[in-house]
Amino acid sequence: MTPVPDTALDVASAVLLLLGALSCLLGAIGMVRLPDLLARLQAATKPQTLGLLLVLAGTALRVELESAVTLALVALFQVITAPVISQLAGRSAYRSGGVRRDLLVVDELAKELPPD
Amino acid sequence: MTEMGSDDHRRTGRRGVHAVRARLPAVVWLTLVWVLLWGTFTLLSIVGGVLVAVLVSALFRMPPLPDRLPVRPLPLLGLVAFLLYDLVASGVEVSWQILRHGPRAQGTIVAVPLLSGSDRVVTVMANALSLSPGAMVLQIDHEREIWYIYALGPRDRDGAERARLRAMDMQRRVLAALGRPEELAEAHRRIAGAGARR
Repeated sequence: MTPVPDTALDVASAVLLLLGALSCLLGAIGMVRLPDLLARLQAATKPQTLGLLLVLAGTALRVELESAVTLALVALFQVITAPVISQLAGRSAYRSGGVRRDLLVVDELAKELPPD
Repeated sequence: MTEMGSDDHRRTGRRGVHAVRARLPAVVWLTLVWVLLWGTFTLLSIVGGVLVAVLVSALFRMPPLPDRLPVRPLPLLGLVAFLLYDLVASGVEVSWQILRHGPRAQGTIVAVPLLSGSDRVVTVMANALSLSPGAMVLQIDHEREIWYIYALGPRDRDGAERARLRAMDMQRRVLAALGRPEELAEAHRRIAGAGARR
């Protein structure tokens, strides 16, 4: 199919898959270790998204082109939707008092939405 | 009578053409998604995609868009490249916070001036800000043109100021790709002002 030797593709693909898995693992550790919901949302969206994209890239190298473009769609919707979810969850948590205010260095929203 | 009639007819005809043209981007995009979902580039999947797209866009009418965005292709490509870089930086930065500080990680919520009045530009900005390292948009106050942004990581006031400047810079990048010229000029002015104050 391509002039690139299969071993080189295999190595590149394996590296991407492993890096992606590592990034997802770090996200999972963050869910356990981080102190409050806002911080955990970051762990759930940032390393997780990066990890998924790396895994998709690693997979795309080893499958037919036609399947690879479908993977691009998965990546696109992940990047578009993750921020929306985290914003909705974050805002409701802040309003309902689910945020540890003692962990915030600066909180300029406190004036607008005073704690109950 | 005939004159009036033909004029009316022409006007509705023109409106019809306008409506079709307004729906065209949605139809093209939906067709592309359909074809990508099937993963096969055959005549059947493309024609089927167009049919489904026309049906969907006719059933679910979107409200007409109030403004036309000035799309600048090169800055837009630059923005996409920067977002990809930011996504990687973001994953690394948040992972570092997880490993280095863990349960004692701190954050900040800063008020940042909203630099655009267009709903679509604000949507792109909110998405872009949520991809940048450790940050997300918590609240948008349209009336007073402020948004409140959470950032994971800053442990002192300087860090909070850096998060604020970063959010301003991201807005400038989006405006460079999609904003009106006067909005972009305003963004440059404010960033220069914020830089001088520090």
